[in-house]
Amino acid sequence: MSQARLPPPPPPQWVVSLNSPMPRPSKAASSIPDPPGFSSRGGKQRQQQQQQSTTKKPDETDALKMKKAWEIAIAPSKQIPMNAIMMYMSGNSLQIFSIMMVLMLFKGPIQGIINTNAAFAKYETPSTHSRLLGVKVVYMLMQLVLLCLGIWKVNAMGLLPTTRSDWLAWESERQPLERAHFAFR
Amino acid sequence: MKMRLQAALFFAACLLPAAAIYSDEVNHIDFHHALLGNPSPDSTFFLKPSSSSNASLLYTLSDKMLVGAVNPRDGALVWRQNISRSVDSPAHAGLLRGLDGNDAVVGAVGSYIASWSAQDGKVAWENRASEGVVADLELLELEDATATSGVRDTIAVVASEDAGIVRRLDGNTGKTVWEYKDTSGDVPFQVSSSSTEVFYISLQSAMLKGFKIKVTVLDPLSGRQTRQQILNSETDVATPDSVLYVGANSASPIIVWADKSQKTLKVNVIGTKEVTSLAIDNTSGSEIRQITVHAPHKLNALPHFLVHFATEAGAWAEVYHVDLMSAKVTKAYQLPYLPGQSVFAASVIDANVYFTRITDLEAVVVSSASHGIMGRWDLQKPSSDSALHSVSEVVSKGKSVAVRSALFRKHGDWQLIRNGQIEWTRHEGLIDAVAATWAETAAQEDLAHELEVEGHETLYGAYLHRVKRHIRDLEHLPDWLKDLPKRILSSILTDEVSNLDSFGVAKSVIVATKNGRVYSLDTGNHGAVSWGIQAVETSQWNVKAILASPGVATIYSNDGSSVTVDVSTGDIVSRIEPSNSKLHAIAVFAAQDGIALATVGVREDGIPVTASASEDGFLVTTSIDGRVLGWVAKDNKTPVWEFVPPSGQKVVEATARPAHDPVASIGRVLGNRSVLYKYLNPNLVLVTAVNEQTHTASFYLLDGVSGKVLHATTQVGVDSTQPIASVISENWFAYSFWGDVDGSESSAKGYQLVISELYESPLPNDRGLLDSATNYSSTATLPLPHVISQAFMIPESISHMAVTQTRQGITTRQLLCTLPSSNSIIGIPRPVLDPRRPVDRDPTTAEAEEGLFRYTPYLDFDGKWYLSHTRDVAGIKAVLSRPTLLESTSLIFAYGSDIYGTRATPSQAFDILGKSFSKLQLVLTVVALGAGVTVLAPMTRRKQVNALWRA
Repeated sequence: MSQARLPPPPPPQWVVSLNSPMPRPSKAASSIPDPPGFSSRGGKQRQQQQQQSTTKKPDETDALKMKKAWEIAIAPSKQIPMNAIMMYMSGNSLQIFSIMMVLMLFKGPIQGIINTNAAFAKYETPSTHSRLLGVKVVYMLMQLVLLCLGIWKVNAMGLLPTTRSDWLAWESERQPLERAHFAFR
Repeated sequence: MKMRLQAALFFAACLLPAAAIYSDEVNHIDFHHALLGNPSPDSTFFLKPSSSSNASLLYTLSDKMLVGAVNPRDGALVWRQNISRSVDSPAHAGLLRGLDGNDAVVGAVGSYIASWSAQDGKVAWENRASEGVVADLELLELEDATATSGVRDTIAVVASEDAGIVRRLDGNTGKTVWEYKDTSGDVPFQVSSSSTEVFYISLQSAMLKGFKIKVTVLDPLSGRQTRQQILNSETDVATPDSVLYVGANSASPIIVWADKSQKTLKVNVIGTKEVTSLAIDNTSGSEIRQITVHAPHKLNALPHFLVHFATEAGAWAEVYHVDLMSAKVTKAYQLPYLPGQSVFAASVIDANVYFTRITDLEAVVVSSASHGIMGRWDLQKPSSDSALHSVSEVVSKGKSVAVRSALFRKHGDWQLIRNGQIEWTRHEGLIDAVAATWAETAAQEDLAHELEVEGHETLYGAYLHRVKRHIRDLEHLPDWLKDLPKRILSSILTDEVSNLDSFGVAKSVIVATKNGRVYSLDTGNHGAVSWGIQAVETSQWNVKAILASPGVATIYSNDGSSVTVDVSTGDIVSRIEPSNSKLHAIAVFAAQDGIALATVGVREDGIPVTASASEDGFLVTTSIDGRVLGWVAKDNKTPVWEFVPPSGQKVVEATARPAHDPVASIGRVLGNRSVLYKYLNPNLVLVTAVNEQTHTASFYLLDGVSGKVLHATTQVGVDSTQPIASVISENWFAYSFWGDVDGSESSAKGYQLVISELYESPLPNDRGLLDSATNYSSTATLPLPHVISQAFMIPESISHMAVTQTRQGITTRQLLCTLPSSNSIIGIPRPVLDPRRPVDRDPTTAEAEEGLFRYTPYLDFDGKWYLSHTRDVAGIKAVLSRPTLLESTSLIFAYGSDIYGTRATPSQAFDILGKSFSKLQLVLTVVALGAGVTVLAPMTRRKQVNALWRA
């Protein structure tokens, strides 16, 4: 730190030539016709465009990122109809396939919810951070909808202790306070 | 999940054929003592039923009016017929006669005569002497010219009011061939025959006292009287019993009687006038108690006979020969006086006559011709039980002989002794079992006591106690290790079903019989009798209860006396003398674990004899005049409540839930997963009352503490003379009766079985008034149950009902019914008897899931339900059930006339490995895998190392 700050080294030649516009072609060179299909104007335009995109960069990428994020957030909802039909069709009997499907149905949303931040990490920038919050909420909601589908299925299969009979084993017989003895014959 | 388990159990119980008894389980899990009763001395004999085969069977007519044939090889019953139902006057002793090579045995009791096929016991013909009772019966041994082939004819003597009738009955049809009527007013006595003549012996009253013996000689073809002789016997023969013997079917039939002082023996060869007097040479010094004559019953046999003289302390016998020409009777030789009881029997091979003498120590065979002993065998197990009578069969092989004797002993054992060795024993004394209970062994008590100690100590103390106990148990380790190879081998080689003894399947049952005997039967050993004792000298032992406590069993009689016996040895531990009050029942104050604490006798008027000071329970008693009384145990002066049925009704039966009646689930799960809560009350009493005038039967469900009537129902058109059986268990009760209902709604005539289930509320998920209260008092608020009932028509009557008991009550129950008309025991699965079965419609999906199926009014007994399968289990009075350590298995013991025991698995044997499970295969697979691994492991290792080098 005590050292005096050195001036930045001069940019290398290739950087300079890259940044500076192409040198005007010489007369002789300009007389050479362009190869078929090449338009020097197009190149110019592209350059211009490039110039433009580099100038618009932060805003546009953010919008793009948000758009992508929204797509990811909505994506689980597309699985809902398919899963619903599958769950409906697989029946309520306890079989290895229906159980596996239900397990997958639970695994997906739960993993999704746990990995929410990872899923949106690509789009995480300081500027999009606040806007991504809503996207994440929607994403989680969608996963929860899927989860609900799984719970509905499990309930339909009778695996949830929601009925009185499921708690019957924990209920005890009423004990009489008096006890009678019998002498019949 | 519970639902599914129940459904699975249900399906296992009633849909799979496995619920039935497999043929290889017969004689394996069940045992049957097919009893006959005490064989009567003069109607028991060996007989070759077929002329083509030399095999003989042992036939008898017992004092219980059972005619039966027993295989002498193993003592198994070949056939039996119960004629007690056909007999109008059972006071008369029965008669049974048969002939070698003749496929018929003819029996008569009272006025009833019947002939059965000797080989299979099928009835050939039945006949009834309308005039009076049959006094004697003989089969004509010699075929005459008129007789067609087939069964020999029978001569019967019928004693009517004023005349004696001799009848010849056709052997094939039982029709009368001829009849001879003697109207002289003599007492018809016996009939006898020789090869040419039929003798009718009657007793003519002498002028002053005694009887003269009159012999009427009849022609066997026509029945006409040829001649008549009167023997002057009036000084000796005071009663018909004084005549000792009338020979039948022998070359020279004889009549034997003795004078009153028993100094001389009078013998008359029937058909002659001469009476030979033979001096009785009594050197024993004591009075002769009994004289018995043994003579051959065959026409071609030598005319020799043996007279058996028995004194109080010993016996001897004299053998006499009859001279056929001169009809002289001479003494041949004497079998010496021996102390102790002797029984004699005569047997015939061809013409030779052999006499068998069995004393307490030995068996001796002599020929009738000379006094030389042909065979002598020491009895292997001398019995202290004196022999009453025997029949013998002698086989001669060159010079040596073999003998088998069927010996009936005083205490009811019928033994076959072959050459001194006991081949089999039939415990005929078991026939009148009046009470039975499961014995508790003392070993269980020890462990239970130790566990109890551990339960009451501190954690550390209990731990120490347990460690000490296990260290003490180590002393059994060497034995256990020694046994180990054998156990492993046997468990591999035999199937699981055979060695379940450690699971409480082998239990002893204490059985008390009417004639004062107590037996212990081992259910683990095919019901073998471990011991039998004469507990009380009586013929009418009215046992009220048998209570088993660990190591001992106490038998309570109605006279207030009790006998306590050691269950392992049969020794009488203690005895309480009878009191003056006659008891109606015994009340047992049982603890929760079923171990009896105290007993109180209940008098016939329903009043407890004493007040129990220590008990604070309630007591429910019945009185002999048909009331049900409730008492506080501490007070025997005034009852707390009294149940008297409406006038005209009479209480015939009262039942309560079994002492061990665990309830696995307090509710019933419906198809939609809601719960119908069971109405569970251990104090329930089911009272059956009948009105004989209006033909109704009422069933009252009482609370035993408050006496409150919880439910009452009345059945109309009930025949109260038919058996009405009832049972109550868990939250249901069942009863059966014969009903003739003729109403507008429905009409039914026949046997009915009604089942009622009790629920706390008609609504699912509702526990009624008390809701979630943990306890309740019957005296405060006792809600009424919601009762669902259903009736079924059943094919036959049920005389007794019981319920299978399992350890935790998880297994579905079976209703055990005794069917007296088909002599069987049936276990009806409870799911079949579900009152909630949908009527007139198919079940909905939810109902089907619950295991309900469509109600059909006619309940046909499925062949798979028969616990007794093909066995003829006759005269069952009661059925006991007992849980084992296996939840699936319930022990069943039925007693009464026969003894029958089996195991029931109402939901299949789900906790036992089946027979198809091959332990050997499993072990071999494991061994093969192990061998494979040990061989392959080094090879693989080498390969891996080589692969590493190559890389």
